[in-house]
Amino acid sequence: MSFIDSLMAGLSLVASVEAFLALFVGIVIGVIGGAIPGLSATMAVALTLPFTFSMQPITGILLLLGVYKGGIFGGCIPAILIKTPGTPASSATILDGHPMAERGEAGRALGMALWASCTADLVSNLALILFAGWLASFALNFGPPEFFALILFSLTIIAGVSGDSLLRGALSALLGLLLATVGLDLVYGTNRFTFGDPNMMGGLNFIAVLIGLFAIPEIIAMAWNPTAHLGKARALGNAKVTIKDYIASFRSILRGSLIGVFLGSIPGIGAAPSAFLSYSEARRKSKNKANFGKGEIEGVAASEAGNNGVAGATLIPLLALGVPGDVITAIIIGAFMVHGLQPGPMMFILNVDIIYGLFIGLIVSSVFLFIVGSVAIKGFRFVADVPKRILMPAVLILCIYGVFAVNNNIFDVGVMFAMGWVGYVMMRYRIPAAPFLIAFILGPLLEDNFRQSMLMSGSDPSILLRGPITWFFWAMTLLTIAAIGRAIMRKQAV
Amino acid sequence: MKHTTLTFAVTAAALLGATAAYADYPTRAINMVIPYGAGGATDISARTISEPLGAAVGKPLVMANITGAGGATGSVAVQNASADGYTMLFARVGSHSVNPAMKATLPYGLEDFRFVTVYEINPVACAVRPASGITSMDQLIAKVAEGGISYSSSGVGSMPHLASAMVLSEFGVADPLTDATHIPQKGGGAAITAVLNGTSTFVCTNSSALASFVANKQLTPLLVTTAEPVVGFDAPTANQLGKDKLNQLVGWTGIAGPDDLPDDVAAKWGEWMAAATADPKFRETMEARGSVIELMDPVKANEFIQGQYDTFRTLVEDLGMRIEG
Repeated sequence: MSFIDSLMAGLSLVASVEAFLALFVGIVIGVIGGAIPGLSATMAVALTLPFTFSMQPITGILLLLGVYKGGIFGGCIPAILIKTPGTPASSATILDGHPMAERGEAGRALGMALWASCTADLVSNLALILFAGWLASFALNFGPPEFFALILFSLTIIAGVSGDSLLRGALSALLGLLLATVGLDLVYGTNRFTFGDPNMMGGLNFIAVLIGLFAIPEIIAMAWNPTAHLGKARALGNAKVTIKDYIASFRSILRGSLIGVFLGSIPGIGAAPSAFLSYSEARRKSKNKANFGKGEIEGVAASEAGNNGVAGATLIPLLALGVPGDVITAIIIGAFMVHGLQPGPMMFILNVDIIYGLFIGLIVSSVFLFIVGSVAIKGFRFVADVPKRILMPAVLILCIYGVFAVNNNIFDVGVMFAMGWVGYVMMRYRIPAAPFLIAFILGPLLEDNFRQSMLMSGSDPSILLRGPITWFFWAMTLLTIAAIGRAIMRKQAV
Repeated sequence: MKHTTLTFAVTAAALLGATAAYADYPTRAINMVIPYGAGGATDISARTISEPLGAAVGKPLVMANITGAGGATGSVAVQNASADGYTMLFARVGSHSVNPAMKATLPYGLEDFRFVTVYEINPVACAVRPASGITSMDQLIAKVAEGGISYSSSGVGSMPHLASAMVLSEFGVADPLTDATHIPQKGGGAAITAVLNGTSTFVCTNSSALASFVANKQLTPLLVTTAEPVVGFDAPTANQLGKDKLNQLVGWTGIAGPDDLPDDVAAKWGEWMAAATADPKFRETMEARGSVIELMDPVKANEFIQGQYDTFRTLVEDLGMRIEG
């Protein structure tokens, strides 16, 4: 079948009101789900999955993809407005998005987030359609040693999000690494720091830690000193994102999109590290380096481009190899299986109509995301106007419900509150929370891939330098560390 | 919530007498715990049966995924629930025969549950990637002797972990733990990816999880553990290779309650499951996914699981695979 034939076959499959409606509804569900703290994009996709069983395959899958894309964008709304990431991928958006909201520029930050998200989404979808085969075979070159080198390099992000004091950032990261060791040991299967409690065996729930670290300290601070915020300007403001803002941040958006595409096409990394990497690269390249973390619009653009750039690209391993790239695509692959579809190279031959149908749907989804997102921003913007004494208790209730719903487990709510106090103490001592989070995400990946590499080679460390990909990331790591070292020296000299 | 159900149960028992309390079971929605994540084999199986099962029960089934620690977190939630039949578990081969056989520290054992049914059997298959040049079990075993062979699994104490050790042991590898290297991964998808990208040599897991890779010729199947061949798998069965004992090595999904679940409740589940598994649409969807529908009543289910557990336990003891601490 020629390209045109495939395209027409795909078009005939998706060109129904039902398919587009499913996509649109999916995006709406996703944006709302992502915007509710604790619910997260993963949760929204998991909740939607059973509804797709009775649908046509293409309709069901488009619905899920809509929820996924909507959810990843929706997560930035609470991140900017109430300093609570709606989904782990939007944690990096807090760094600059929330300070902007505090300054009365919530509308501008949200607008930029939407524009960056949609641009990255489009880039990501195009990458999927044009380079799926090539990127998939690249991704298959990533074994544990390559992963180890990549994660090691990614840990240098910590320096970029530590704020004024690298020492405080390192302290925060160490704490994150420590707590990430709780749970079952990968290689021996033994309990680590579980204190005999079955609830701890699965490790600390990521969403509970995330919400605890970011949202709860704000609430505790509010309860501690209910009038502290009075007198500070926090009006919605009429500030809107302008074309000029977009052009100024365009390089960062594009860079973030590409980082997202690469990290998304490699199974097992996910959107959060991509957002942080994109953010720290944008900061490194920016003229306004000092303004990052204090409400720099380019920071918002970079992190949102980084996480949405992943959304289309995670479908590359899924469609081309049949391998789920992250938790969300693991759920989506379930939908394929329910309908008897077997993602992988043969699907491009056997079900080429579905593949092209999905491609068409994906391209349309970027447009839908823009429409739904614009409406959502208009609606949610007013959250910034709600008085804090009403907003904060509402946020607390949402967080409790959300964290409970992740795993239907009351223990997770306890984890959230415990982490809330840790976060509060950290806030009081000006220890940044972002390094903690990065270490918490990347620490286990670093450890697992190191130990898997050692198992592969029979404890011969030379496997960590086994090919060009590892050399590249080792070189990048060394260069970055040298740059950080030089920056510190220069600072001390002044 | 647990407290209220308990109070309710006690009051009801006091008023009506213990037997009468269950006569009109169920009077409200039943909580069904799925101990694995959305989109996984257990989740899809559970949600597929929930439709005909819900119709048979006549009350809503509230499906909740409680994940973590290889199914242990969700299992413990049901173990500790009151045995009134309103909190039930979708038990799986990993959580209820491999884990108890391998892990000394597991907070529950088989005796903490009462199985009301097993309704699905999944054949297990072993596969390698075509680039490895291995096309038969004999070649694989020959390579084990040369060294450098590894296998991946979805984690220590998971079914694929035990499956690979059992297959190697059955094919005469004296010490599967040192002659081949186990490279654990996080999750079933990652275990298969590890074979695809050459991190490990082979994987033994549910045929349904491997089906798409086999159909796509990304993986070559070497063996299926059932007596009957599996559709789409161009590989000999265990019996054809003379390893009948491997027939024990199959995945399954069942439903269990806490150990003191009353007899009438268990009996009711037997009736409901008979009705639910007779549903032609259910059979069709499950079989398309490579599952074998085999309904066991409460007695047979307990025997089957105990039998599999005993086989696994013996193997674990023989090989010294038990995880202490």
